[in-house]
Amino acid sequence: MIPQLSWYLALSAVLFTVGVVGVIIKRNVIAMFMCIELMLNAVNLTFVAFSSFFHDISGQLFVFIVMTVAAAEAAVGLGIIIAVFRNRESLDVDDASSMRL
Amino acid sequence: MTAVLFILFAGLAIGCAISMVVQRNPLYSAISLIGVFISLACLYVMLAAPFIAAVQVIVYAGAIMVLVVFVIMLLNVEEEDRQPLRLRALVPIAVILAAIFFAETAFIIYFVQASPVSLSRNVSDVGLTSSIGGGLFTTYLLPFEITSILLLMAIVGAMTLARSGGLLPSRAAVVPGDQVFSKEMMDRREAGDLTPVVTHTTEEAAELLGARDERTK
Repeated sequence: MIPQLSWYLALSAVLFTVGVVGVIIKRNVIAMFMCIELMLNAVNLTFVAFSSFFHDISGQLFVFIVMTVAAAEAAVGLGIIIAVFRNRESLDVDDASSMRL
Repeated sequence: MTAVLFILFAGLAIGCAISMVVQRNPLYSAISLIGVFISLACLYVMLAAPFIAAVQVIVYAGAIMVLVVFVIMLLNVEEEDRQPLRLRALVPIAVILAAIFFAETAFIIYFVQASPVSLSRNVSDVGLTSSIGGGLFTTYLLPFEITSILLLMAIVGAMTLARSGGLLPSRAAVVPGDQVFSKEMMDRREAGDLTPVVTHTTEEAAELLGARDERTK
């Protein structure tokens, strides 16, 4: 029995939902950040699955670009987390509820 | 055989993802997330995309997660303590909405026909490095260049944000011999009343501040 396209899409949907739930229920900034990475990976899985099943290269190029954006997001996001932690001495998102750094 | 492998890696990915959300220590969730990345890389190999699988392991499980673990270690993050659930009244509403959502999904899956597109798995060169490079440098050259500019901006932004500056802005000049305040005095969150007060003489200001000059008496 060969895995169908719908299997990969279902797995991707489950992973994305777990990521959304994590972003909603977590209060630690770094944990929320990692949940966002999980959501990006779920979307990457759909891209690769469609690309493989329809024999089209575009999906994998999109995955390449999404990975680059994720790397940039990691660099800038962790910089922001360090700056906020330096000012507030806390990683709880409830403590950082105002826009002022 | 491939179905068994798919179920193995998909179960590993879902288990690691749920473990990531459930863990209270951020370091453990980071390690679970690495498990998700590795199992997704195995799924990419099954999907005949070896280049993306390698990049997944190198960039995600390597670079990004090392950065995250480094920041966790640097900031010395402690475990989250259990806090009381906010908005407890909304829990039954959330359960009802989730049940409706699952019912709709089951309805769609049950009634939608399987797609008639023939998904034959022929041998192709779609996932190979050479074809990805060819696509990246011909059809998608402009997004590739924009991506490099994005990375440059990310480097500059990360350096600007994480530079040690504290409360002083980047252009502030520190005069030698000037007073140095402790962080508690400069911390404006601790200060209570910060509304400006208009005075015309030094004595008035001293009175307002509670520091009366003894020589004026």
